[in-house]
Amino acid sequence: MYALCLRLTGDAGAAEERTQDVFVRAWDKLRSFRGESAFSSWLHRLAVNVVMNERRTTFRREQRVTPVADPDTVVGAQHAAPLHGSAGLSIDLERAIAALPEGAREIFVLYDIEGYSHAEIAELTGLAEGTSKAQLFRARHLLREKLDR
Amino acid sequence: MNERELLEAAGRLPKSIEPPSDLWPGIEARLGRGGGRSRRWYWVGLAAAAVVALVIVMTQRNAWKVTWLAGAGPGSLRVGQWVETDDSSRALITVGRIGHVEVRPRTRIQLVVARADDHRLALARGAIEAKVDTVPRIFFVETPVGTAIDLGCAYTLEMDSLGNGLLHVTAGVVEFQGRGHMARVPMGALVQTRSGVGPGIPYVEDAPEALRRALAASDLRAILKAARAADAISLWHVLQRVDSGARGAVYDRLAGLVPPPDGVSRGAALALDAAVLDAYWTHIHRILFRKMILRGVRDIDPRTGTRVR
Repeated sequence: MYALCLRLTGDAGAAEERTQDVFVRAWDKLRSFRGESAFSSWLHRLAVNVVMNERRTTFRREQRVTPVADPDTVVGAQHAAPLHGSAGLSIDLERAIAALPEGAREIFVLYDIEGYSHAEIAELTGLAEGTSKAQLFRARHLLREKLDR
Repeated sequence: MNERELLEAAGRLPKSIEPPSDLWPGIEARLGRGGGRSRRWYWVGLAAAAVVALVIVMTQRNAWKVTWLAGAGPGSLRVGQWVETDDSSRALITVGRIGHVEVRPRTRIQLVVARADDHRLALARGAIEAKVDTVPRIFFVETPVGTAIDLGCAYTLEMDSLGNGLLHVTAGVVEFQGRGHMARVPMGALVQTRSGVGPGIPYVEDAPEALRRALAASDLRAILKAARAADAISLWHVLQRVDSGARGAVYDRLAGLVPPPDGVSRGAALALDAAVLDAYWTHIHRILFRKMILRGVRDIDPRTGTRVR
Protein backbone atom coordinates (compact mmCIF):
# COMPACT_ATOMS: atom_id res chain seq x y z
CA MET A 1 0.00 0.00 0.00
CA TYR A 2 2.83 2.33 0.90
CA ALA A 3 4.55 1.52 -2.40
CA LEU A 4 1.44 2.48 -4.35
CA CYS A 5 1.01 5.75 -2.43
CA LEU A 6 4.70 6.55 -2.73
CA ARG A 7 4.69 6.09 -6.48
CA LEU A 8 1.46 8.00 -6.97
CA THR A 9 2.52 10.97 -4.86
CA GLY A 10 6.25 10.90 -5.57
CA ASP A 11 6.83 12.10 -2.03
CA ALA A 12 7.71 9.99 1.00
CA GLY A 13 5.98 12.22 3.55
CA ALA A 14 2.78 12.47 1.54
CA ALA A 15 2.90 8.71 0.93
CA GLU A 16 3.02 8.04 4.66
CA GLU A 17 0.01 10.31 5.22
CA ARG A 18 -1.97 8.77 2.40
CA THR A 19 -1.12 5.23 3.54
CA GLN A 20 -2.47 6.06 6.98
CA ASP A 21 -5.55 7.63 5.37
CA VAL A 22 -6.12 4.45 3.37
CA PHE A 23 -6.10 2.18 6.39
CA VAL A 24 -8.27 4.51 8.44
CA ARG A 25 -10.74 4.72 5.56
CA ALA A 26 -10.54 0.97 5.04
CA TRP A 27 -11.33 0.40 8.70
CA ASP A 28 -14.29 2.76 8.52
CA LYS A 29 -15.62 1.10 5.40
CA LEU A 30 -14.65 -2.45 6.23
CA ARG A 31 -18.08 -3.60 7.26
CA SER A 32 -19.51 -2.28 4.04
CA PHE A 33 -17.08 -4.44 2.06
CA ARG A 34 -19.48 -6.69 0.20
CA GLY A 35 -16.98 -8.99 -1.35
CA GLU A 36 -17.76 -8.26 -4.98
CA SER A 37 -13.99 -8.31 -5.52
CA ALA A 38 -11.00 -9.70 -3.65
CA PHE A 39 -10.20 -7.74 -0.51
CA SER A 40 -6.81 -6.74 -1.89
CA SER A 41 -8.44 -5.31 -5.03
CA TRP A 42 -10.93 -3.39 -2.92
CA LEU A 43 -8.19 -1.97 -0.73
CA HIS A 44 -6.08 -1.14 -3.76
CA ARG A 45 -8.86 0.81 -5.41
CA LEU A 46 -9.62 2.56 -2.14
CA ALA A 47 -5.98 3.66 -1.98
CA VAL A 48 -6.04 5.08 -5.48
CA ASN A 49 -9.25 6.93 -4.63
CA VAL A 50 -7.76 8.35 -1.43
CA VAL A 51 -4.71 9.68 -3.26
CA MET A 52 -6.76 11.10 -6.13
CA ASN A 53 -9.33 12.70 -3.84
CA GLU A 54 -6.64 14.29 -1.76
CA ARG A 55 -5.11 15.82 -4.86
CA ARG A 56 -8.43 17.04 -6.17
CA THR A 57 -9.58 18.61 -2.92
CA THR A 58 -6.42 20.31 -1.74
CA PHE A 59 -4.84 21.37 -5.04
CA ARG A 60 -1.67 21.13 -3.09
CA ARG A 61 1.42 20.30 -4.98
CA GLU A 62 3.54 18.06 -2.86
CA GLN A 63 7.25 18.50 -2.83
CA ARG A 64 8.74 15.64 -4.74
CA VAL A 65 11.51 13.31 -3.79
CA THR A 66 14.74 15.04 -4.60
CA PRO A 67 17.17 12.87 -6.51
CA VAL A 68 20.32 12.49 -4.47
CA ALA A 69 23.69 10.97 -5.00
CA ASP A 70 23.14 7.86 -2.90
CA PRO A 71 20.24 5.77 -4.19
CA ASP A 72 19.86 4.24 -0.72
CA THR A 73 18.70 7.55 0.68
CA VAL A 74 15.76 7.72 -1.69
CA VAL A 75 12.78 6.04 -0.11
CA GLY A 76 11.84 3.07 -2.20
CA ALA A 77 14.77 3.37 -4.54
CA GLN A 78 16.68 0.70 -2.65
CA HIS A 79 14.14 -1.78 -3.94
CA ALA A 80 14.32 -0.78 -7.54
CA ALA A 81 15.44 -3.39 -9.99
CA PRO A 82 18.58 -2.34 -11.79
CA LEU A 83 17.79 -1.62 -15.42
CA HIS A 84 19.18 -3.97 -18.06
CA GLY A 85 20.21 -6.17 -15.14
CA SER A 86 23.19 -3.91 -14.57
CA ALA A 87 23.83 -2.26 -11.23
CA GLY A 88 26.17 0.16 -12.94
CA LEU A 89 23.47 2.41 -14.38
CA SER A 90 23.30 5.53 -12.32
CA ILE A 91 19.63 6.44 -12.65
CA ASP A 92 17.10 3.99 -11.43
CA LEU A 93 13.53 3.75 -12.45
CA GLU A 94 12.03 4.58 -9.06
CA ARG A 95 13.76 7.94 -8.98
CA ALA A 96 12.87 8.67 -12.55
CA ILE A 97 9.21 7.92 -11.85
CA ALA A 98 9.25 10.12 -8.74
CA ALA A 99 10.61 12.98 -10.82
CA LEU A 100 7.88 12.77 -13.48
CA PRO A 101 5.26 15.53 -13.67
CA GLU A 102 2.34 14.68 -11.39
CA GLY A 103 -0.26 13.78 -14.02
CA ALA A 104 2.12 11.69 -16.10
CA ARG A 105 3.44 9.91 -13.04
CA GLU A 106 -0.03 8.90 -11.86
CA ILE A 107 -1.02 7.49 -15.21
CA PHE A 108 2.27 5.60 -15.61
CA VAL A 109 1.97 4.10 -12.13
CA LEU A 110 -1.66 3.11 -12.60
CA TYR A 111 -1.29 1.73 -16.13
CA ASP A 112 2.20 0.30 -16.43
CA ILE A 113 2.87 -0.74 -12.84
CA GLU A 114 -0.54 -1.41 -11.33
CA GLY A 115 -2.21 -2.75 -14.46
CA TYR A 116 -5.33 -0.56 -14.63
CA SER A 117 -6.95 -0.04 -18.03
CA HIS A 118 -7.42 3.42 -19.49
CA ALA A 119 -11.16 3.09 -18.88
CA GLU A 120 -10.58 2.31 -15.21
CA ILE A 121 -8.09 5.16 -14.90
CA ALA A 122 -10.61 7.51 -16.46
CA GLU A 123 -13.15 6.42 -13.88
CA LEU A 124 -10.71 6.81 -11.01
CA THR A 125 -9.22 10.13 -12.01
CA GLY A 126 -12.08 11.81 -13.81
CA LEU A 127 -9.88 12.28 -16.88
CA ALA A 128 -10.95 11.36 -20.40
CA GLU A 129 -9.51 8.10 -21.72
CA GLY A 130 -7.73 10.02 -24.44
CA THR A 131 -6.03 12.21 -21.85
CA SER A 132 -4.94 9.11 -19.95
CA LYS A 133 -3.38 7.69 -23.11
CA ALA A 134 -1.64 10.97 -23.88
CA GLN A 135 -0.25 11.21 -20.36
CA LEU A 136 1.01 7.64 -20.58
CA PHE A 137 2.77 8.37 -23.86
CA ARG A 138 4.31 11.46 -22.29
CA ALA A 139 5.41 9.58 -19.16
CA ARG A 140 7.06 6.78 -21.13
CA HIS A 141 8.81 9.27 -23.37
CA LEU A 142 10.11 11.25 -20.41
CA LEU A 143 11.28 8.13 -18.60
CA ARG A 144 13.13 6.76 -21.59
CA GLU A 145 14.72 10.12 -22.12
CA LYS A 146 15.80 10.33 -18.50
CA LEU A 147 17.05 6.76 -18.28
CA ASP A 148 19.01 7.05 -21.50
CA ARG A 149 20.98 10.00 -20.17
CA MET B 1 16.39 2.14 -23.88
CA ASN B 2 13.39 1.12 -25.91
CA GLU B 3 9.79 0.93 -24.70
CA ARG B 4 9.86 -2.84 -24.19
CA GLU B 5 12.89 -2.53 -21.90
CA LEU B 6 11.18 0.25 -19.99
CA LEU B 7 8.05 -1.83 -19.46
CA GLU B 8 10.09 -4.85 -18.41
CA ALA B 9 11.89 -2.69 -15.87
CA ALA B 10 8.56 -1.35 -14.61
CA GLY B 11 7.31 -4.92 -14.28
CA ARG B 12 10.28 -5.79 -12.10
CA LEU B 13 9.63 -3.00 -9.60
CA PRO B 14 8.77 -4.40 -6.17
CA LYS B 15 5.11 -4.52 -5.25
CA SER B 16 5.96 -3.77 -1.67
CA ILE B 17 8.07 -1.04 -0.08
CA GLU B 18 8.42 -0.65 3.65
CA PRO B 19 7.74 2.90 4.85
CA PRO B 20 10.66 4.65 6.58
CA SER B 21 8.76 4.86 9.83
CA ASP B 22 6.14 2.70 11.49
CA LEU B 23 2.75 4.00 10.34
CA TRP B 24 0.60 1.86 12.60
CA PRO B 25 0.85 3.98 15.76
CA GLY B 26 -0.59 6.92 13.80
CA ILE B 27 -3.27 4.78 12.24
CA GLU B 28 -4.22 3.25 15.56
CA ALA B 29 -4.37 6.68 17.18
CA ARG B 30 -6.71 7.90 14.46
CA LEU B 31 -8.84 4.79 14.71
CA GLY B 32 -9.03 5.36 18.45
CA ARG B 33 -10.45 8.80 17.76
CA GLY B 34 -13.04 7.29 15.47
CA GLY B 35 -11.02 7.87 12.30
CA GLY B 36 -12.42 10.36 9.86
CA ARG B 37 -15.93 9.05 10.00
CA SER B 38 -18.62 11.67 9.81
CA ARG B 39 -21.02 11.57 12.70
CA ARG B 40 -23.05 14.64 11.86
CA TRP B 41 -26.35 12.89 11.43
CA TYR B 42 -27.44 10.51 14.05
CA TRP B 43 -29.83 8.73 11.73
CA VAL B 44 -27.03 8.06 9.28
CA GLY B 45 -25.18 6.31 12.07
CA LEU B 46 -28.21 4.25 12.91
CA ALA B 47 -28.74 3.28 9.30
CA ALA B 48 -25.08 2.36 8.95
CA ALA B 49 -25.26 0.27 12.10
CA ALA B 50 -28.27 -1.54 10.69
CA VAL B 51 -26.39 -2.24 7.45
CA VAL B 52 -23.35 -3.42 9.39
CA ALA B 53 -25.49 -5.73 11.47
CA LEU B 54 -27.10 -7.09 8.32
CA VAL B 55 -23.71 -7.64 6.67
CA ILE B 56 -22.39 -9.37 9.77
CA VAL B 57 -25.41 -11.64 9.98
CA MET B 58 -25.17 -12.45 6.27
CA THR B 59 -21.44 -13.06 6.55
CA GLN B 60 -21.92 -15.37 9.49
CA ARG B 61 -24.37 -17.38 7.44
CA ASN B 62 -21.84 -17.75 4.67
CA ALA B 63 -19.73 -20.87 4.70
CA TRP B 64 -16.06 -20.92 3.85
CA LYS B 65 -15.15 -23.07 0.85
CA VAL B 66 -13.04 -26.18 1.42
CA THR B 67 -11.11 -27.65 -1.51
CA TRP B 68 -9.59 -31.06 -0.99
CA LEU B 69 -6.08 -31.24 -2.42
CA ALA B 70 -5.80 -34.90 -1.49
CA GLY B 71 -8.51 -37.12 -0.14
CA ALA B 72 -12.13 -36.06 0.22
CA GLY B 73 -14.42 -34.36 2.71
CA PRO B 74 -17.04 -31.63 3.09
CA GLY B 75 -16.84 -28.82 0.54
CA SER B 76 -17.72 -26.06 2.96
CA LEU B 77 -17.09 -25.03 6.53
CA ARG B 78 -19.55 -23.20 8.76
CA VAL B 79 -19.03 -21.72 12.20
CA GLY B 80 -18.66 -24.53 14.71
CA GLN B 81 -17.76 -27.15 12.10
CA TRP B 82 -14.42 -28.96 11.84
CA VAL B 83 -12.08 -29.97 9.03
CA GLU B 84 -10.05 -33.05 9.83
CA THR B 85 -7.39 -34.63 7.65
CA ASP B 86 -5.92 -38.11 7.96
CA ASP B 87 -2.41 -39.33 7.18
CA SER B 88 -2.70 -38.62 3.48
CA SER B 89 -5.40 -35.99 2.98
CA ARG B 90 -4.91 -32.23 2.61
CA ALA B 91 -7.43 -29.44 2.23
CA LEU B 92 -7.46 -25.78 1.32
CA ILE B 93 -9.82 -23.55 3.31
CA THR B 94 -10.75 -20.25 1.69
CA VAL B 95 -10.70 -17.72 4.52
CA GLY B 96 -13.65 -15.47 3.70
CA ARG B 97 -12.28 -13.20 1.01
CA ILE B 98 -8.93 -12.45 2.59
CA GLY B 99 -6.82 -15.53 1.94
CA HIS B 100 -6.57 -19.24 2.45
CA VAL B 101 -5.27 -21.86 4.83
CA GLU B 102 -3.80 -25.14 3.69
CA VAL B 103 -4.61 -27.90 6.13
CA ARG B 104 -1.88 -30.51 6.14
CA PRO B 105 -2.23 -34.20 7.00
CA ARG B 106 -3.19 -35.28 10.54
CA THR B 107 -4.76 -31.93 11.36
CA ARG B 108 -7.99 -30.97 13.10
CA ILE B 109 -9.20 -27.39 12.78
CA GLN B 110 -12.48 -25.62 13.52
CA LEU B 111 -14.10 -22.46 12.18
CA VAL B 112 -14.88 -20.31 15.22
CA VAL B 113 -15.84 -16.90 13.83
CA ALA B 114 -16.54 -15.86 10.24
CA ARG B 115 -17.15 -12.13 10.20
CA ALA B 116 -15.75 -9.41 7.98
CA ASP B 117 -13.79 -8.02 10.94
CA ASP B 118 -12.91 -11.32 12.63
CA HIS B 119 -11.85 -14.47 10.78
CA ARG B 120 -11.04 -17.03 13.44
CA LEU B 121 -9.99 -20.68 13.31
CA ALA B 122 -9.07 -23.01 16.16
CA LEU B 123 -6.24 -25.45 15.52
CA ALA B 124 -6.68 -28.43 17.83
CA ARG B 125 -3.63 -30.25 16.42
CA GLY B 126 -1.65 -30.66 13.21
CA ALA B 127 -0.16 -28.20 10.76
CA ILE B 128 -1.46 -25.37 8.61
CA GLU B 129 0.00 -22.94 6.13
CA ALA B 130 -1.83 -19.59 6.16
CA LYS B 131 -1.64 -16.84 3.56
CA VAL B 132 -3.80 -13.79 4.08
CA ASP B 133 -3.95 -10.39 2.46
CA THR B 134 -5.77 -7.96 4.70
CA VAL B 135 -5.39 -5.33 7.39
CA PRO B 136 -3.81 -6.47 10.67
CA ARG B 137 -5.77 -8.20 13.43
CA ILE B 138 -8.51 -9.56 11.22
CA PHE B 139 -7.33 -13.17 11.01
CA PHE B 140 -6.71 -15.30 14.10
CA VAL B 141 -5.78 -18.91 14.76
CA GLU B 142 -6.44 -20.12 18.27
CA THR B 143 -4.34 -22.99 19.61
CA PRO B 144 -4.12 -24.92 22.88
CA VAL B 145 -1.50 -22.45 24.18
CA GLY B 146 -2.52 -19.13 22.68
CA THR B 147 -3.57 -17.25 19.60
CA ALA B 148 -1.66 -16.43 16.43
CA ILE B 149 -2.70 -12.93 15.37
CA ASP B 150 -2.06 -11.98 11.79
CA LEU B 151 -0.49 -8.61 11.16
CA GLY B 152 -0.52 -9.11 7.37
CA CYS B 153 1.42 -12.19 6.46
CA ALA B 154 2.07 -15.78 5.52
CA TYR B 155 3.12 -18.43 7.97
CA THR B 156 3.16 -22.09 8.88
CA LEU B 157 1.99 -23.28 12.26
CA GLU B 158 2.31 -26.81 13.55
CA MET B 159 1.26 -27.95 16.97
CA ASP B 160 0.35 -31.01 18.97
CA SER B 161 -2.83 -31.24 20.99
CA LEU B 162 -1.00 -30.09 24.14
CA GLY B 163 0.31 -26.92 22.57
CA ASN B 164 3.90 -27.89 21.76
CA GLY B 165 4.62 -26.47 18.35
CA LEU B 166 6.39 -24.14 15.99
CA LEU B 167 5.36 -20.95 14.19
CA HIS B 168 7.42 -19.98 11.14
CA VAL B 169 6.65 -16.65 9.48
CA THR B 170 7.48 -16.34 5.78
CA ALA B 171 5.99 -12.89 5.10
CA GLY B 172 4.85 -9.96 7.24
CA VAL B 173 4.53 -10.28 11.00
CA VAL B 174 2.57 -12.56 13.31
CA GLU B 175 1.96 -11.91 16.96
CA PHE B 176 1.49 -14.93 19.19
CA GLN B 177 -0.16 -14.34 22.53
CA GLY B 178 -0.73 -16.91 25.21
CA ARG B 179 -0.13 -17.82 28.86
CA GLY B 180 0.73 -14.21 29.64
CA HIS B 181 3.46 -14.00 27.03
CA MET B 182 3.64 -12.21 23.69
CA ALA B 183 5.95 -13.08 20.81
CA ARG B 184 6.18 -10.83 17.78
CA VAL B 185 7.50 -12.89 14.90
CA PRO B 186 8.59 -11.13 11.71
CA MET B 187 9.32 -12.58 8.29
CA GLY B 188 12.21 -15.01 8.42
CA ALA B 189 11.80 -15.84 12.11
CA LEU B 190 10.35 -18.68 14.16
CA VAL B 191 9.02 -19.24 17.63
CA GLN B 192 8.42 -22.44 19.52
CA THR B 193 5.44 -22.91 21.76
CA ARG B 194 5.31 -25.16 24.78
CA SER B 195 2.43 -26.67 26.64
CA GLY B 196 1.57 -24.63 29.70
CA VAL B 197 4.19 -22.01 28.84
CA GLY B 198 2.97 -20.34 25.66
CA PRO B 199 5.26 -18.82 23.07
CA GLY B 200 9.00 -18.91 23.65
CA ILE B 201 11.50 -16.37 22.39
CA PRO B 202 11.47 -15.86 18.60
CA TYR B 203 14.69 -16.36 16.66
CA VAL B 204 15.75 -15.79 13.08
CA GLU B 205 16.08 -18.65 10.60
CA ASP B 206 19.88 -18.58 10.64
CA ALA B 207 20.23 -18.20 14.40
CA PRO B 208 23.26 -20.11 15.71
CA GLU B 209 22.58 -23.50 17.22
CA ALA B 210 24.11 -22.32 20.50
CA LEU B 211 21.53 -19.55 20.72
CA ARG B 212 18.66 -21.90 19.95
CA ARG B 213 19.80 -24.28 22.66
CA ALA B 214 20.25 -21.42 25.13
CA LEU B 215 16.76 -20.09 24.36
CA ALA B 216 15.22 -23.52 24.80
CA ALA B 217 17.02 -23.89 28.13
CA SER B 218 16.29 -20.29 29.20
CA ASP B 219 20.01 -19.95 29.93
CA LEU B 220 20.45 -16.18 30.02
CA ARG B 221 24.23 -16.17 30.19
CA ALA B 222 24.46 -18.45 27.16
CA ILE B 223 21.85 -16.38 25.30
CA LEU B 224 23.81 -13.17 25.79
CA LYS B 225 27.01 -14.89 24.73
CA ALA B 226 25.60 -16.51 21.60
CA ALA B 227 23.48 -13.61 20.30
CA ARG B 228 24.68 -11.69 17.26
CA ALA B 229 23.40 -8.38 15.91
CA ALA B 230 21.17 -10.40 13.59
CA ASP B 231 19.57 -11.95 16.69
CA ALA B 232 18.35 -8.62 18.05
CA ILE B 233 14.70 -9.70 17.85
CA SER B 234 15.48 -12.46 20.33
CA LEU B 235 17.15 -10.09 22.79
CA TRP B 236 14.28 -7.61 22.42
CA HIS B 237 11.93 -10.32 23.66
CA VAL B 238 14.32 -11.57 26.34
CA LEU B 239 14.48 -8.04 27.75
CA GLN B 240 10.78 -8.21 28.53
CA ARG B 241 10.82 -11.73 29.94
CA VAL B 242 13.66 -11.53 32.48
CA ASP B 243 13.46 -10.22 36.03
CA SER B 244 14.14 -6.53 36.48
CA GLY B 245 17.54 -7.31 37.99
CA ALA B 246 18.72 -8.96 34.78
CA ARG B 247 17.28 -6.41 32.35
CA GLY B 248 20.32 -4.15 32.46
CA ALA B 249 22.62 -6.86 31.17
CA VAL B 250 20.19 -7.78 28.39
CA TYR B 251 19.69 -4.17 27.36
CA ASP B 252 23.42 -3.46 27.34
CA ARG B 253 24.06 -6.49 25.15
CA LEU B 254 21.23 -5.55 22.79
CA ALA B 255 22.32 -1.91 22.59
CA GLY B 256 25.89 -3.04 22.01
CA LEU B 257 24.82 -5.17 19.07
CA VAL B 258 22.17 -2.87 17.57
CA PRO B 259 22.47 0.70 18.83
CA PRO B 260 19.02 2.01 19.77
CA PRO B 261 17.36 4.71 17.66
CA ASP B 262 16.89 8.27 18.90
CA GLY B 263 14.34 8.50 21.66
CA VAL B 264 15.12 5.10 23.18
CA SER B 265 16.76 5.54 26.55
CA ARG B 266 18.17 2.82 28.77
CA GLY B 267 16.01 3.88 31.71
CA ALA B 268 12.76 3.80 29.75
CA ALA B 269 13.65 0.47 28.17
CA LEU B 270 14.44 -1.08 31.56
CA ALA B 271 11.12 0.26 32.84
CA LEU B 272 9.52 -1.56 29.88
CA ASP B 273 7.98 1.63 28.55
CA ALA B 274 5.70 0.38 25.75
CA ALA B 275 6.33 3.27 23.36
CA VAL B 276 10.09 3.01 23.78
CA LEU B 277 10.08 -0.75 23.28
CA ASP B 278 7.94 -0.30 20.18
CA ALA B 279 10.37 2.26 18.79
CA TYR B 280 13.27 -0.12 19.37
CA TRP B 281 11.27 -2.95 17.77
CA THR B 282 10.51 -0.88 14.69
CA HIS B 283 14.20 -0.11 14.33
CA ILE B 284 15.23 -3.76 14.71
CA HIS B 285 12.45 -4.99 12.46
CA ARG B 286 13.37 -2.56 9.71
CA ILE B 287 16.97 -3.77 9.76
CA LEU B 288 15.83 -7.38 9.61
CA PHE B 289 13.38 -6.60 6.81
CA ARG B 290 16.07 -4.94 4.71
CA LYS B 291 18.41 -7.83 5.35
CA MET B 292 15.78 -10.34 4.29
CA ILE B 293 14.58 -8.68 1.13
CA LEU B 294 18.07 -7.75 -0.03
CA ARG B 295 19.55 -11.17 0.71
CA GLY B 296 21.72 -12.16 -2.20
CA VAL B 297 21.47 -8.67 -3.68
CA ARG B 298 23.28 -6.48 -1.22
CA ASP B 299 25.15 -7.02 2.05
CA ILE B 300 23.39 -5.27 4.91
CA ASP B 301 25.06 -4.35 8.19
CA PRO B 302 22.93 -6.12 10.85
CA ARG B 303 23.83 -3.38 13.36
CA THR B 304 22.44 -0.51 11.36
CA GLY B 305 20.58 -1.82 8.33
CA THR B 306 22.78 0.16 5.98
CA ARG B 307 24.70 -1.22 3.07
CA VAL B 308 28.09 -2.75 3.86
CA ARG B 309 30.63 -0.94 1.72
